[in-house]
Amino acid sequence: MVDPLNGGPRGVPEPLALPVDPHLVELPAVPTDDPGWILVEEGFTLAREHEVESLFAIGNGYAGTRGSLAEGSALSTPATFVAGVFDSDANSLPGLVSTADWTRLSTSIDGQPLRLDRGHNLEHRRILDMRQGIFWREWQHQDEAGRITRVRVLRLASLADRHLLLQSATITPENFSGRIFVDATLTGPVVQVTSSGTTVAMAVARRVMNPTDRWTPSAELIQGRQGLELRLGETYRLDRIVALHTSRDTADPRETARRHVERAIDDVAGVIGDHKDAWLARWQASDLRIEGDPAAQRALRFAIYHLLSAVNPQDDHVSIGARGLSGSAYKGHVFWDTDIFMLPFFILTYPEAARSLVMYRYHALAAARAKAARLGYRGAFYAWESADSGEDVTPPFVVAPDGQVVRLHTGEQELHISADVAFGVWNYWRATGDDRFLVEAGAEILIETARFWASRTEHGDDGRYHIRGVIGPDEYHETVDDNAYTNGMAQWNLEVAAEIANLVAGRWPESWQALSRRLGIEPDEPRRWEQVARDLYTGFDERTGLFEQFRGYFGLEEIDLAAFVPRTAPMDVLLGRERIQRSKIIKQPDVVMLIYLLWERMRPEVRKANFEYYEPRCGHGSSLSPAIHALVAARLGYTALAEHYFRQAAEIDLADSMGNAASGIHAAALGGLWQAAVLGFAGLRFSGERPEHRAKLPPSWRSLAMRFQWRSQWHELILPEGA
Amino acid sequence: MSKPIILVPLDGSKQALAGLPVAKVLGEIEQAALHILHVGEHKLTADELRSRLGRDTSVLNDFTIDARVGVPAVEILRGVGEIKPRAIVMCKHSGAEGEKMLGRTAMKVLHDARCPVVLVPPERGEAPWHLQHVLVPHDGTPSTSAALQPAAELAERGRAELLVVHVTDIKTAPAETGSLTTPRYVDQPQHEWPAWTTEFLNRLACICPLGHLQTRIFLAHGDIAAEVLRLSERQSTDLIVLAWRGIWEAPRAAALKNILREAHCPIMVVRA
Repeated sequence: MVDPLNGGPRGVPEPLALPVDPHLVELPAVPTDDPGWILVEEGFTLAREHEVESLFAIGNGYAGTRGSLAEGSALSTPATFVAGVFDSDANSLPGLVSTADWTRLSTSIDGQPLRLDRGHNLEHRRILDMRQGIFWREWQHQDEAGRITRVRVLRLASLADRHLLLQSATITPENFSGRIFVDATLTGPVVQVTSSGTTVAMAVARRVMNPTDRWTPSAELIQGRQGLELRLGETYRLDRIVALHTSRDTADPRETARRHVERAIDDVAGVIGDHKDAWLARWQASDLRIEGDPAAQRALRFAIYHLLSAVNPQDDHVSIGARGLSGSAYKGHVFWDTDIFMLPFFILTYPEAARSLVMYRYHALAAARAKAARLGYRGAFYAWESADSGEDVTPPFVVAPDGQVVRLHTGEQELHISADVAFGVWNYWRATGDDRFLVEAGAEILIETARFWASRTEHGDDGRYHIRGVIGPDEYHETVDDNAYTNGMAQWNLEVAAEIANLVAGRWPESWQALSRRLGIEPDEPRRWEQVARDLYTGFDERTGLFEQFRGYFGLEEIDLAAFVPRTAPMDVLLGRERIQRSKIIKQPDVVMLIYLLWERMRPEVRKANFEYYEPRCGHGSSLSPAIHALVAARLGYTALAEHYFRQAAEIDLADSMGNAASGIHAAALGGLWQAAVLGFAGLRFSGERPEHRAKLPPSWRSLAMRFQWRSQWHELILPEGA
Repeated sequence: MSKPIILVPLDGSKQALAGLPVAKVLGEIEQAALHILHVGEHKLTADELRSRLGRDTSVLNDFTIDARVGVPAVEILRGVGEIKPRAIVMCKHSGAEGEKMLGRTAMKVLHDARCPVVLVPPERGEAPWHLQHVLVPHDGTPSTSAALQPAAELAERGRAELLVVHVTDIKTAPAETGSLTTPRYVDQPQHEWPAWTTEFLNRLACICPLGHLQTRIFLAHGDIAAEVLRLSERQSTDLIVLAWRGIWEAPRAAALKNILREAHCPIMVVRA
């Protein structure tokens, strides 16, 4: 059953009692010991370093820092990204700015640098403490002279004060006394100005605590370099706090950062305590507990951790890029990933953050209108890839690994992005009942996207409306006519816009009049949308119950994907671009995606028939694919198949051995994984006025428990009932 | 520090001379001394050797000539032990043995020598040779990266372009930790391929420093030998560099054998 809760969500059970390592008390916090909350990387494999940096990234939605080694390595790429701050030059597309490396901490003993690639690493462990949002490191190193040194580090991006980044490190000579030299200077400029004039400023404060617990605020320390005389067994601790501000949030970011960090350095314990409390509060709302399947539990917490690390409810001009704030790939660009794959998690467990994400789309409306107008259409055609302004920043071409230059059509042809944005907006409003948002922003998005569809459709000789020359979610097939997903979502968009127009006109007439005047909405326009929706070609065959993915799809070459099992490469790489376009192999769910999103509109036999037809033809060439297959399979009762896809989705980052995660985690796949568990296995639905569920948990899942918010009311879901 | 040495074994056959132009260029690039080691039934003087080779003697002026008597493979390997060459350059086979892949002597040298061995097809004759494109197949494993350091250094010193072809085994990913294979998911190729290529080069460079080397990456799948040979033809490769773990018996080294059999350009084999 789904139990409404009075007041806020109840607390997550405390983790297991910790057998505290006595050495760790020297740091100002203690790591979580419960394996369900931590990710551990033992040892050191140089070639894996970029993957580890992505997986172990910390973030708070304002900034994100990769889990790089403080002293560096031959393959370290330390980076801190600031959400919403992009830079480009005349020859490049905008990409997220990377600030100075504030984590750098190099140490040398009698002139010998302390590094993983020198001497012997007696112990080396990195821990991502998802519960507390802290990156930990423990390292015991023996140099070539036999000196053993222990180093411990914690690092966090404060969730309580998003402008603060903190690193605390201890160093202990375990079998020697000697002079060490610590260099904690920042690498890179502390003040940067982007090509669009945004200033990013960092200010840093440091202090060293000696073994007698006295803090050293010396001048040379302020500069970041200091020599220290260490005695056998005594521990020194270096705290470093960075304040990060930009001209997006303050008039004088440099001065604001300076003042901010001066205050913070005097209360390191307070900064850490507030951060831990903030994470605890977040987990109380967003945690998903699985009993009986530790791997699934950890994968879901990993997903939630990175989604929470990437969002900022305090800034509705930023969204979440494809790799969050964990890596440079995709340049921080925002895709439909956010609206369709990530947003449901936030809507149900963190509505304030969801609101900021949908408001980002509202702020991008002007650019979407301009894009539509440039192509000769009305309304809003959203950018396939967007950065800070909402303008389309999709690259025009790609150089394939075989050297072939391939022209990209996604920017002009993946029209479905506009319906995806509208769907996210409607989904948010439906779940939250945030009427103010609807009236002030959401309705405008729904109307402008509907207008786009109404102008983009062509009336054919058959008396139907058609949408020609598009790319659906299945990007293996370009420039196709009447893509089922695109047309289906456009139809939905047109109908819902008409409904919302009538709703707003009836319930908030003054607001509607103002909106009508501002947008020039003609009185019969909503009726026209309804008419286009009614006569829009959908590719549905009543006889078979199948949607044809696009005109001519059923006539394409049949290729048995089972003949390629096992395989390690995507099918378009194996078959080549031309062959794959002539085949029925699809990259990711297209019709199945439509079935999922418009579930309540589909008859049960239609859902089943289409899944059974398209699932065997999907090559899963996208990281977005396995989770949606898991979700739909779970809803249809194909539990074993759903579990197979769920595991595949869970492994995209966590079992990465293919380098995919080297330049960032897959934020949409993580959002999809959460959806597969909650909207798939748990079967949570919102078709009526009250949430309900039709759970089909995997056999190994003894229970699933979570909380979610529906129309300002917290609910508790515990499965199986009575567990 | 003494000059490095490029060793060129000869057996008196005309086919064996195919190694000379290759050795000469490699010697210039490596600033190495060139050392001919002739093994025959009778010990010859340098003049007798020149006469026997029937060559313009000036061509051989750059070479130190060392004539020995005995079993060729044994004497060559003895010479390798004595002079510790940076590389051995020799003809794949003399033709007399009727083999297309490797002669017995070349096989023994390849198997027992620890330095890189450059095997030259006899059909290229004595035509001048240049080093502009070096082709390296790479399975994405750290151990292959490490093995390819001599190739990268050679290409950089010779100002040649390094062409790295990643030939994917589509059935199984390498088990070695830190291996990089073809990405399983290519969400948006405009972002995914540049990121993957950068990552591939970064991993290669951190284990096998590339310096200022000009490098291009190619992706292929299917039969490794066929793909390497196809790309070699298409890119007019001057040298193919192969890492070999030292096991010749089937089913191992299948790609090496096929490439040795079919390639029209010299092949450098380095030990992984």
